[in-house]
Formats: sequence, structure tokens, C-alpha cells
Amino acid sequence: MKVRVDPERCQGHTLCAMIAPKVFELDDIDGHSSPVSEDVPVDQQAQVREAVRSCPEQAISISEDPA
Amino acid sequence: MSIDENDRKQNQYHFDRHTPDYRHNFEAITEEMHAACPLAWSDTYGGHWVAAGAQEVFELARSAEYLSNDHDVNNERRGYKGITIPSPEDMKFQGGFLEMDPPEQRHYRQALNPYLSPAAVARWTPVVTELVRACLNEKIESGEIDFVDDLANVVPAILTLAMMGIPMEHWSIYVEPVHAAVYTPPDSPDMARVRDSQIEMYQDMLGQLAAIRENPKPGLIDALARATINGKTPPDMELIGVMALIIGGGFDTTTALTAHALEWLGEHPDQRERLSRERATLLDPATEEFLRFYTPAPGDGRTISADCEIVGTKFKEGERLWLSWAMANRDPALFENPHEVDLARTGNRHHSFGLGIHRCIGSNVARMVFKQMLTAVLDRMPGYQCDPAGAVHYETIGVIQGMQHLPATFTPGPRIGPGLEETIEAMQKVCDEQRLAEPVTARKAQAEVG
Repeated sequence: MKVRVDPERCQGHTLCAMIAPKVFELDDIDGHSSPVSEDVPVDQQAQVREAVRSCPEQAISISEDPA
Repeated sequence: MSIDENDRKQNQYHFDRHTPDYRHNFEAITEEMHAACPLAWSDTYGGHWVAAGAQEVFELARSAEYLSNDHDVNNERRGYKGITIPSPEDMKFQGGFLEMDPPEQRHYRQALNPYLSPAAVARWTPVVTELVRACLNEKIESGEIDFVDDLANVVPAILTLAMMGIPMEHWSIYVEPVHAAVYTPPDSPDMARVRDSQIEMYQDMLGQLAAIRENPKPGLIDALARATINGKTPPDMELIGVMALIIGGGFDTTTALTAHALEWLGEHPDQRERLSRERATLLDPATEEFLRFYTPAPGDGRTISADCEIVGTKFKEGERLWLSWAMANRDPALFENPHEVDLARTGNRHHSFGLGIHRCIGSNVARMVFKQMLTAVLDRMPGYQCDPAGAVHYETIGVIQGMQHLPATFTPGPRIGPGLEETIEAMQKVCDEQRLAEPVTARKAQAEVG
């Protein structure tokens, strides 16, 4: 799974980092989110899906690895 | 109305959020609007649009190119009326950057973000722990507390002033006018007293701004005093508007959230016990759920800045629009069982801090202070019982869905450390010596209070 945060959409609500703190890091200055790495570890995928569902700005997108 | 107008405004709903009826029938009105007209034209207050559905609110709130927050108090631009519907008649200044558009709005936020980001706010946590401890100390031996007057109204106010660079001990000048201005109806005989207290507060604000200009000290006011906004140094009245926004946003909203959450938990002791026990995993989602369910700031007004079509409706330049965060937060299309509190709710993309470029700049402060107050009560007054007869909700929820009083009783316990006055003095020293109110760019470490 790959994850992306659209920097134009993100407004720093911080829910993603609350839900998946190992995947998303928040900017010190404005709290906007970015993924630590584009590739999501298998054990973090459920949290990342929940972060996608919880983002008020719908700024997070994921793409599943081809089977 | 012309045929075109009838067509544009075919979904009509008489919407008046300033009446007690709206508070008492909030769920029924919300359900009715979601079912029949998630975007409606209301004839109230000179006529305005009302967005109640989550999808409608989402699409509209994020259409920044067609929406204006501008409050043109001196009639220098297009005469727009800002974020309040109806707009107050006698406003002398804008409501800070919440009543501005980019680029000015963006410049203000860029100046203040380094004081309010998650990393910046985390530095204050030990100070807030101390203030909460001290507030509870004042009541812990008596077995009686008013959660609004003795806790939820106090801590957010003291912290907000400290972050601004105003002496914490001034909180008593600020707390009452901010709280009372929201819950006192304009025609109340008490309004004259409220206005007097507001004048005293604004005088103190002007004095603080002047003093910090003269002798710089860290904090949000210092950032404002040094700010260049769109190439200009803003006039003092504009800065007073920004300070009033920070104070208005920082005080009564977190008070309202905390009071409502404590009231609900008092009514649901099994859920309270569960939250306390499972707080490591439950405190975050429960906080978001209380934010969703009680939506302290129930909405924002906007002005349509250009003819446009959004969510299938044609809007005309100059029309007013109310974005109801509170009603969008109850939309069954987005939230299962929307009128129920589910402390472990998932997928909770609520609208309580707004959406888009005007997202509440103090959201990180609100969450941190709320969690500190809540967990301290759970620890030291775990079996508290609220007194429903003494609980006072705001008569109307047009501005803030708040509470005026929430008395409770509990099994008395021991004081831990000093009381409020002594603690404020100690925390002021911590704040000054460790320069806690600096932006996070200048100072990263958490406060040391021990």
C-alpha cells in the first residue's frame, strides 16, 4: 500500500497522526501532515485506512499494491 | 421573485438558529433539513442560504474561490458582512483573520501558526496539568464544584492569556466579559454590566499591545505587533480584532465542550468508567466524538464572492450563506446513528473545527486542554454526580453551544499541592523564565514545572 497526503487539501486537522502516528508526521510550524514514507508497512494498513476515513478534508489517498 | 429566482431557491426553509426553539428542536429540525433540503434558502435575517448536509457543507466550505469571509466594517471594499448572520450593527473592527480573505488571512495565520501547532502546544502541557490540579484543589475538600465556573471557564482563559503574552493573573478581567457576552441576550437588563466589563477588557487589551510594543515579550501579541500583513503594518484596531478572535476562540468554546462532555459522562457512569479505564486508546476518539456531538461553534457565515454553481445550486454574488457545522455533524449519510454518542466512533470526520483554509487555528490547544481537564476530573472526582436542577445551558445556540453552570457533588478528597493563586504565580514564573510563549521555531522543549 502506498499513501499520499495532498498538501493543497491538508489543513492540519491532525487526525491522521492521532490514528496512525507511525505513518504520518506533522509539520512543527503549521501541523500539516505528510507521510513518513510513501510505502505503508503491512501492520499499519488498517490504521491508514481509518485515517483516510477520518480526514475532514479528504486529503489522504491510498493505492493498494497490485496482487 | 422571478422564475429564475424561484427555481434557484426552490428549497425553502424558515431557519432561525437564534431562537430557543432551534435549541430545543435541534435534532428534529436537523433531520427535517437533511431529508428535505440539505441546502435551503431561508427568509430570515434578510435572506440567506443554509447548508445543513455534510456533503453540501464540505463542497461549499472548500470552495474558497467563491466564498468570502470578509467583514468590510468601513465600507472600503464590497460591503461584505463577515461570518455572523445577522451581522452586528456597530462593529468597529473585523473579527480578526476569520473575517478576512487571503492573502491577509494567510499572512496572519503564517505569523501565528508557530505558536499554535501541535509541537508548539505540546510545550504547554505540564503548565496546563498544574493549572487544572490547582483548580480542582480549590474544591476537592468540599465535595462540591461547578464544572463551568470552577474549572472549564478558568483553565482555557489562563492558558490563552499566557500564550498571548498577557499576565495570567489578568484572567479575571477577561473571563467574565467573554463568557457573559455570549449567553446574555441583547435585551437583557444585565447587558449594561456586561458591556462595562467588555470595555474594561478592551482597555486592558490595548494596554497590553502598547506595553509589548514598548517592551517586547514573547507571545502571540508580540507576533502581531511585529507582523507585516500584505506588505503593510496593520493598524491597532485590526490587531485588537485579531486579539479578540484569539480570546473568543480560546475561551468559551473549550469551556462549552468540557462542560457538555462532563454532563454526558455524569449521565452515563458506565461509559465514564470505561473511558477512564481505557483512556490510552479511548481518549482520542472520545474527544473527537464529543467535538462532533456538541459542536461548540455551531457554524460560520460566508458571502458568495462571485456567481457560481456548487452542489447543483446556482449562487449569486453577494448572497449570504450559513455553513452549519453542527447539523453537518449529524448527517446520517456520513455518521451512523448520528444522534448517539459513541466514544469509540471511527471514521469521525466531523466539522467542528471548520473546513478549508479557516480551520480553527486553536484546535490543538482545545484538544490538549480538554483532555487535561477531563482526565483530572476522572482521576480525582471519579464518581461525581451533576445536579440537573442547577445545570444551565445557554438559552440559544446560535453563537456557541455552551453552558453557564454545571454544579456537581463528589466524594471529597485531599488537596495536591498549592491552590490556584499560588499556582498561577508559579506558572507565570515558568512561562517568563523559560520563555514558553516563544514560537516553536525559537524554543522546542516542553515546560519544566517541577
